[in-house]
Amino acid sequence: MKINVIKRVLKANDIVAQENREKFKSAGLLAVNIISSPGSGKTTLLEKTIPALGEKKSIVIVGDLETTRDAKRLEPYAYQVTQIQTGMSCHLYANQISESLNDLDIEKTDFLFIENVGNIVCPGEFDLGENAKVVLLSVPEGDDKVAKYPTIFRVADVVLITKIDLLGVLTFDLDRVKNDLAKLNSNVPIIKISSLKSDGMDKWMDWLKEKHNSSIGEQAKFVTE
Amino acid sequence: MHEMSIATELLEIILEIADKNKIDIIEEVHVKSGVLKKIVPDVMDAAFIAVVEGTIAEKAKLTLEEVSAQVRCNKCKISFKPEIDDFLCPVCNKADVEVISGNDMIISSVTGYSKNDIEKGKKDED
Ligand SMILES: Nc1nc2c(ncn2[C@@H]2O[C@H](COP(=O)(O)OP(=O)(O)O)[C@@H](O)[C@H]2O)c(=O)[nH]1
Ligand SMILES: [Mg+2]
Repeated sequence: MKINVIKRVLKANDIVAQENREKFKSAGLLAVNIISSPGSGKTTLLEKTIPALGEKKSIVIVGDLETTRDAKRLEPYAYQVTQIQTGMSCHLYANQISESLNDLDIEKTDFLFIENVGNIVCPGEFDLGENAKVVLLSVPEGDDKVAKYPTIFRVADVVLITKIDLLGVLTFDLDRVKNDLAKLNSNVPIIKISSLKSDGMDKWMDWLKEKHNSSIGEQAKFVTE
Repeated sequence: MHEMSIATELLEIILEIADKNKIDIIEEVHVKSGVLKKIVPDVMDAAFIAVVEGTIAEKAKLTLEEVSAQVRCNKCKISFKPEIDDFLCPVCNKADVEVISGNDMIISSVTGYSKNDIEKGKKDED
């Protein structure tokens, strides 16, 4: 007996992602999914970003295979932080976010930063309901990574080139990155950042505030200062 | 390695289909796999074998049929087939597209039989 069907796999994740999206919208929260390889500077960026957005304006969900180290690093700055230990899983699922939301007071804040598990392959396949995917590429990783991992860069809403303080030390051709990105995602903003030297933070802040205003709309609680 | 997540969900779906259609043993599952999902067939096979163990799909054959990518330029509205590292529109030379196909994994058929059928078959032979 042959049963013909049309059943989409991973639909279950998308349904929960859509529910998350609606929750973020009604709470006036901009949800940002931060994706990169391990060590590209996600947590360090958040350590600088969250205080710069204003005291206690952000909540954070951190995904790592093991430990609560990153949550501990961010606790001093954020309104609330939860850590998801994913164990064997190389990415976060929408239902992990939806469960975390039960412990977070999303009405009280303007930004939700989701630090995804360090990986630039799988997180691209799993919608969390975020308003934007922020993809980091650090200078030490090399300028060939956009071409090598095209999928994640194609779906990025903004690409941050991080650790630019190392540009003079390492060989990294920014034009190569720009050319590779142009072939995948021509309109994606590219922001060069050094969290260490606080370079490029102003452009990143502007992008976040602008995204908050455009995604959350007129009644946005967050007003650009 | 999202093949494992996919295999887990795939199993859930085919068990549900089998249950609804009174299938006791699943023999084959046919899946249309979009190229943009970048599924590695060998990894997918291994993941599938791992998850079906001890279920009615234990002996099932997984057939993956590759579906090519098709995208539409947001500006020119023309459709074209991109390369994995090149989504430039042949008209305006910009990569700003909507994916039309090649981004999904779709189960298109489940084949199996019910134990009743076999018993009935045997009786018919008698
Ligand atoms: N030189 C330099 N190092 C950085 C910068 N940002 C992060 N790092 C270092 O990179 C390493 C990994 O950073 P981390 O934020 O933990 O990366 P994550 O794994 O992506 O969260 C740490 O040793 C950081 O100090 C930067 O802007 N410049
Ligand atoms: Mg981290």
